[in-house]
Amino acid sequence: MVEDQHTLPSRLAERFLTAVCKRDLIEEILGDLHQYYEESAEKPIWKRKIHFWFHVLNFLRPFALKNLGGDYRLNQFGLLINYVKISWRNLIKNPLSSFINIIGLSFAIGICLVAYAMLEWDYTKDQFHENKDEVFLATTLVNRNGSEVQYGSTPGPLAKMLKEEFSQVSKVCRVKDAKVVMKYQNKVFHEEARYTDPEFLEMLTFPLKWGSPASLKDPNSIILSEEMSIKYFGYENPIGREVFLVFDPSYKKAFTVAGVAEPFPVARTIDFDLLLNIENVGLVSPNTDFEAWAASVDATFIQLNDKSDIDFIKQNIGKYILSLNESQSDRNISSLSFEPLASLAHRSGDIVNSISYELPPEKMTLPVLGLIILIIACFNYINMAISSATKRLKEIGLRKAIGANRRKIIIQFLTENLIITCFAVILGIVLCVTLMLPWNNMLIFKYYFGFDLALELLDMKFWIFLLAIVLVTGIASGLYPSLFIARFKVTDIFAGSVRYGKKNKLTKAFLLIQLILTSISLTVGVALIQNTTYLRNSSWGYDQQEILYVNTDHTAFQQFYNLIEQNANVLSLAGSEHHLGATVAPQRVMTKKDVYEVHQLLVDANYLETMGLKLKSGRFFVRSGDENALVVNEMFLKNLDISQSTGQSVELDGSLYEIIGVVEDFHTFNFDFAIRPTIFMLAELSDYKYLSIRVRNDKADETYKELEQHWAGLFPEIPFQGGFQRDILLIDERANEGAKFILSIAFVAVMLVTLGLYGLVILNVAGRNKELCIRKALGANIINITKTIAGQYTILFVTALVIAVPLSYFAAEAFLDLLYFYHMPVSSSAILFSVTILLLVLFMVAFTQVKKVSGSNPTDGLKVE
Amino acid sequence: MEKEYIGEFEELILLLIVMLKDDAYGLAIRNELKDQANRNVTIGAVHGTVNRLQKKGFIESRMGGGTESRGGRRKRLFTITASGRKALERSRNVKLNLWQQIPELAVNKI
Repeated sequence: MVEDQHTLPSRLAERFLTAVCKRDLIEEILGDLHQYYEESAEKPIWKRKIHFWFHVLNFLRPFALKNLGGDYRLNQFGLLINYVKISWRNLIKNPLSSFINIIGLSFAIGICLVAYAMLEWDYTKDQFHENKDEVFLATTLVNRNGSEVQYGSTPGPLAKMLKEEFSQVSKVCRVKDAKVVMKYQNKVFHEEARYTDPEFLEMLTFPLKWGSPASLKDPNSIILSEEMSIKYFGYENPIGREVFLVFDPSYKKAFTVAGVAEPFPVARTIDFDLLLNIENVGLVSPNTDFEAWAASVDATFIQLNDKSDIDFIKQNIGKYILSLNESQSDRNISSLSFEPLASLAHRSGDIVNSISYELPPEKMTLPVLGLIILIIACFNYINMAISSATKRLKEIGLRKAIGANRRKIIIQFLTENLIITCFAVILGIVLCVTLMLPWNNMLIFKYYFGFDLALELLDMKFWIFLLAIVLVTGIASGLYPSLFIARFKVTDIFAGSVRYGKKNKLTKAFLLIQLILTSISLTVGVALIQNTTYLRNSSWGYDQQEILYVNTDHTAFQQFYNLIEQNANVLSLAGSEHHLGATVAPQRVMTKKDVYEVHQLLVDANYLETMGLKLKSGRFFVRSGDENALVVNEMFLKNLDISQSTGQSVELDGSLYEIIGVVEDFHTFNFDFAIRPTIFMLAELSDYKYLSIRVRNDKADETYKELEQHWAGLFPEIPFQGGFQRDILLIDERANEGAKFILSIAFVAVMLVTLGLYGLVILNVAGRNKELCIRKALGANIINITKTIAGQYTILFVTALVIAVPLSYFAAEAFLDLLYFYHMPVSSSAILFSVTILLLVLFMVAFTQVKKVSGSNPTDGLKVE
Repeated sequence: MEKEYIGEFEELILLLIVMLKDDAYGLAIRNELKDQANRNVTIGAVHGTVNRLQKKGFIESRMGGGTESRGGRRKRLFTITASGRKALERSRNVKLNLWQQIPELAVNKI
């Protein structure tokens, strides 16, 4: 025990200081620290230790640190300069391996930077709101089939009630979205308008470039986003200009532009195009009374004076929910829940109809791919560095002979690697900003979210990330080779007895991992592409090929209907409030047993036939008398467990409906989603929003042009909106672009593996030049040489493929499961494709070298200089 | 002879070395700094400063005896040199001179 007291409290500290501090200072330093530790005995032990270590680390000062290795009085700066110089010369001297390393790393870094931009967006979205902690979205929790579902849409009067009943609520605002046509001079477009209370701009932080937020109080004012302002007015200040909102062909209203927002921060999930006072909602849907509890708004925000008051509101909300439910027929609100704006986006995956949104889980694809490419590039570097060390044996020997110790050699090679990484980072940023980010935005982000991701080059976090990448890649890829190289003994080097490189196990393991990763990414890419084709050709459950649709409203509907009914190419026409692939309404169906969530489509009597839905039993609607009839899909029967198909009655909105027909299952939305129980009911003419048109075979394009012309003639103030039903699920755009992106990255991986393998084989052949020449001189033919060169790699490839095939299969299957609810099983051809590509790579690389060796004269290789 | 100036912290430490006489070593100086001047600094900071003072020639050092509380390690004991003393005096004189020229800040008024 006494012995222990004579040592420092932590042997680690002693060892650490002895390692870094000057020898002649160490005794007094350790003595003082020891005494300090002894004297602080009255403190609690953890505090004592922390203080002690604080003092220990504080000795990392210039006066106390010894210089790394050798004589510390020498200036190390010159040596560092020399390392840089030698590194540069090596880069120039071996253009091939420099090229492979820098290109590989820069691609990897470029992809990592795109992933960084995405994650940065993901973690900072909506954090710019000043009141992000005090503003909450009110959500309703509703009991559905035994589980609680959270809805972002709320009853209209909820905001008013919360404001009146709770003094802690300082501000409330409702948000309602609706489509509208905006007209300014000859510019007419369909837009999304956001109707809201004037508090919207106080609660959420959207500063205005021009105009005042208070103008939102005026129901005749409109506030534009910057993008909208530029779209309609160019770069001039539009304040005071008058625009028209066209609600239907017979009704339009003038609004004065009273504000233009500053450009929105990129990291946002909530914004607006046109902001209008919520009083105007009456103009859009005159039949809706927003003071009624049955009416719903898209979002209700509340702001508290103190965010901790939310607990009080949560505890006392119970009694109001009771009366809230009484006023409604079937809403079964069990509770209210409040989501702070700061975390709303991250929670939005679990909230139905949330005003905000969360990135889908496939967002992790990009970081994972970035990491895979980075690993491949790093392994390339390690393999090349180890193999090419042969050429530098003499240099290392010389350095060691004139006094470099192991540490110095390690530092030299790490410096070299950091320099390469720095070049790669510069090239990587250029690649990312000029090529990958625009491309990625074009393919994915613009499509998904309607805005561009950008690298915030001036952001501190970006530079910290960059520094981290340089250090991690630099050290991860450089540490092993430098340790490996520094291990050689001088005497062995000069005696020529250092043997390595030809059969390095680690090199092979790295190559193995590279091949497996490449195979997986290739298979996933190909499987995705194949799946797109599969989805395009698979049945949607109805006839999407020869159908056109037009967005309209009930006044325009009748006129347009009458006009195109005459068209010779039109086979049949149907109107509807909802439309397959576009919109449905959530509905609740009651049987004697339970309540069920279903999709509801309100259509006219012609709709089902026009769309080509296949009747399984019963009948379609007839024009009159079917007001209380339902046509359902098979899934509906299956879910509700109704045995005999037609003739059954279910309860809906308090009245009974009879099932008159059953149609075969169909895909309402794209293949990401499961088929839901769906019901069709007859719609009121005044609610029609879509016109569906079945045309003669191969006349779709021709008819579409005619529709546009007819529409322009009838309604010059409203732009035509419509399309081909076959495009409505956006299968091609979505799946194809994502698949292309992944496949391209997979080919980057193939390129890197090829380059890496090429480098390895070249070095291997160079190292075995004499052996090969002797073989040739003794009569080896081309097959023999091929065997010698490619033999060890063939075994490696076969091993890799044996491991990679099942892994690739499971990875591709899991990835498709993540993306799609319905997809094709991963085909053997996808796996075969990746296997073939990899074998082709080996063949090509080996071929170049075999050709070189067999074409050379053995005497050249055997000559002694 | 070129005059070496001393900083405020250096001056404090020089004074403490004089005050501590035969027991002026790193940790003792740090503890006195805490008691007398209410300055809480790390041991490393004191070591750094005495190292600098020694380079400037204001103090000299010798190794003293080890104690059990130091794990048997010896102390480095510091004593002030003649030029260190001069530097202290110079610093004091400059300040006194200045103080006396400012009647508003006369010592007895504070």
